[in-house]
Amino acid sequence: MRKQFRDTVLDIGKSDARIVMVFGDVSVYLFKDFQALYPSRFYNVGICENTLVSLGAGLSSQGFVPFIHTINPFITERSYEQIKLDLCYNGFGANILSCGASFDYAWDGATHHAYTDMAILRLLPETEIIQPGSRHELDVLLRSQYNNGKVTYFRLSDHPHEVDMPVKFGKAVVLKEGHPKVTVVTAGPILANVLEACRDLDVNIIYFHTIKPVDHAAISRFRHTKIVVVHDAFGLFEAVCEVPDISASYYGLPDKFCSWYGTLSDIRKKIGLDASAIREHVRRKIQES
Amino acid sequence: MTPLCKTIRKDILQIAKETGHGHIPSCFSVVEVLCALYEVIRHDPKNPAWDKRDIFILSKGHASLALYCVLARFGYFDIAKVYSFGQFESSFGCHPDRFKIPGIEASTGSLGHGIGIAVGAALALKIKKENERRIYTVIGDGESNEGSVWEAVMVATNLKLDNLTVIYDNNMSHARGLQIPNPKDRFKAFGCHVSEANGHDLGALKREIRKKDRHVRVIIAHTKKGYGCQTMTKDHYAWHRRAPSDQEFEEFCKELG
Repeated sequence: MRKQFRDTVLDIGKSDARIVMVFGDVSVYLFKDFQALYPSRFYNVGICENTLVSLGAGLSSQGFVPFIHTINPFITERSYEQIKLDLCYNGFGANILSCGASFDYAWDGATHHAYTDMAILRLLPETEIIQPGSRHELDVLLRSQYNNGKVTYFRLSDHPHEVDMPVKFGKAVVLKEGHPKVTVVTAGPILANVLEACRDLDVNIIYFHTIKPVDHAAISRFRHTKIVVVHDAFGLFEAVCEVPDISASYYGLPDKFCSWYGTLSDIRKKIGLDASAIREHVRRKIQES
Repeated sequence: MTPLCKTIRKDILQIAKETGHGHIPSCFSVVEVLCALYEVIRHDPKNPAWDKRDIFILSKGHASLALYCVLARFGYFDIAKVYSFGQFESSFGCHPDRFKIPGIEASTGSLGHGIGIAVGAALALKIKKENERRIYTVIGDGESNEGSVWEAVMVATNLKLDNLTVIYDNNMSHARGLQIPNPKDRFKAFGCHVSEANGHDLGALKREIRKKDRHVRVIIAHTKKGYGCQTMTKDHYAWHRRAPSDQEFEEFCKELG
C-alpha cells in the first residue's frame, strides 16, 4: 500500500506544488523519485515524531499541504498532543499517513503493534479517519481528501485485501445483504478474512474504509439485526456504537498485550482473527439470534 | 525601564487585578523582549495578515497577557478590550488563540509546542524562497525542560534554518526543578549561533534581534521574573499565578515608579 501512496503522491505532486513530504526516516528509499523530482518538497526529518507533527503544522500555517509519514504507534501515540494542539486546535490541515497497521510488524513485538490509533484520533475534533483496505481505496481517498484543509489520518497497511468495490469518502459499502438476523461490520484489510469466514453464512456484511465520519445511515439500515463488529483494531466499534438504538458487539482484540512475534497471520490466528475463528464466532451469533 | 515598558507592566498589573488572572512574573520577564521584537520585526498592526510580515510565535503561551498588552500598545487593538482577559466569551484567554486575536500566529499553551511550529514555518519560508521574512519565537527556560524543544532545535539546525531566531527567556523558572545551568553551551552544542543579552535592556535586545547569520540564531535573554517590582522578584513562586489585591497593586505601581 505504501507503493500506492508513492504512486498517488507522485501523480498529484505534479500539479500541486504545495505538497510537502515530511518523513520520520521510513519509506525514504521508496520515495526516491519524488525526492529527485522535488528536492525542496521532500524532507526526511529524522526519528523525532513530535517535531515531525509540529513542523507539519508550521508548513501548513504558511500554505503548504504536508504529508506526515512514519510508523503507526510512534506518530499516533507519542505525538498525540502535537496532533491535537498543533494541527487540530490550530486548524492547520495536514495528512498523516502511518505504516505498520495492527500486526504488520508482528515480528517486532508489542512495541510496534498498533491498534489504538483510530480510536484515539477519532476523538479529536474535526479529524477524518481513513483505513484503506486496498490500494485502490487509498488512491481514491487520498486524492479526494488530501487537500481539504482538515487533519486527515490514513492508516496504511502492508497487507491489503484485493476486493474490488466502489469507493467514496464517508460511504460504507454493503457487500452482502438480505439476511434478517446478523450483520457483520468490518473495516480495512481484515475484510479478506471476514469474507472467507462468512462466504456461505446467513449474514449481511458492511465494509467501512472511512471510520470518521462513520456512515450512520448504512448502519441504521441494519439496526433490526444483531451487529457484530469484526476488527483488528479499536475505533470502528466505538464509531458504530454512536448510532442510536442498535445492538452491537465487538469481536477483535483481547484486553491484553499481544506479546508474540512471528507473522501477521500467526498473530491473527493466536487471537482468533483468522477466517476459521471468525466463522465460528459469527456462527454462534447466528445461532443465538 | 522605558516609559512604554512601564506602561505595559501597569497594564498587566491592572488587568490581572481586575480579572483575577495572569502569570504576572512570567509576563514581566518578557516585556522588553516582546517590545524589542515588535520594534524590529516586519509587521503591520493595521494588516496583521500582511504577506510580507515576519512571524512571531509565543511558545511560552502562559505569558499571553504580556503579549496582548504589547500588541495593544503597538496598535493591534484597543487595550480596553484586554480587560475581558480570561472571562467567558472573551477573545483574550490565559493562553493565546490565533482565531480570536489579530497578530497571534499560533495558539499555544502546552509547553514545547510553539517552537516546533516555528521550525515548520521557517522551513516553509525557505521552500517559498521568501528570504526577506524571518520567524521568531520566545521559549521559556522552564519550557526547555521539554524534550520537544531540543528535538525542534536539532531539526532546525539540521535543516539549516538561518531564518529562525529563538529567544530564550532565562528567567530562572527552571531553578527549582530540572535545571539548565548552561543554556548557551547547550544551544551551541546543538549547532546554533548563540548570543546573550540583558533581557531588560531594550537597546541590547534590539541589536541582537536585528542580527542575522548563517545559522539558527538563539538569544539568551537574561531576565528576572517580576522585573520592575522587587517584592514580586524576591517571591516570584508565590506570585506565579496570582492576581494582586487593590493594596498590592498600589504597592507594585509604586515600585514600578
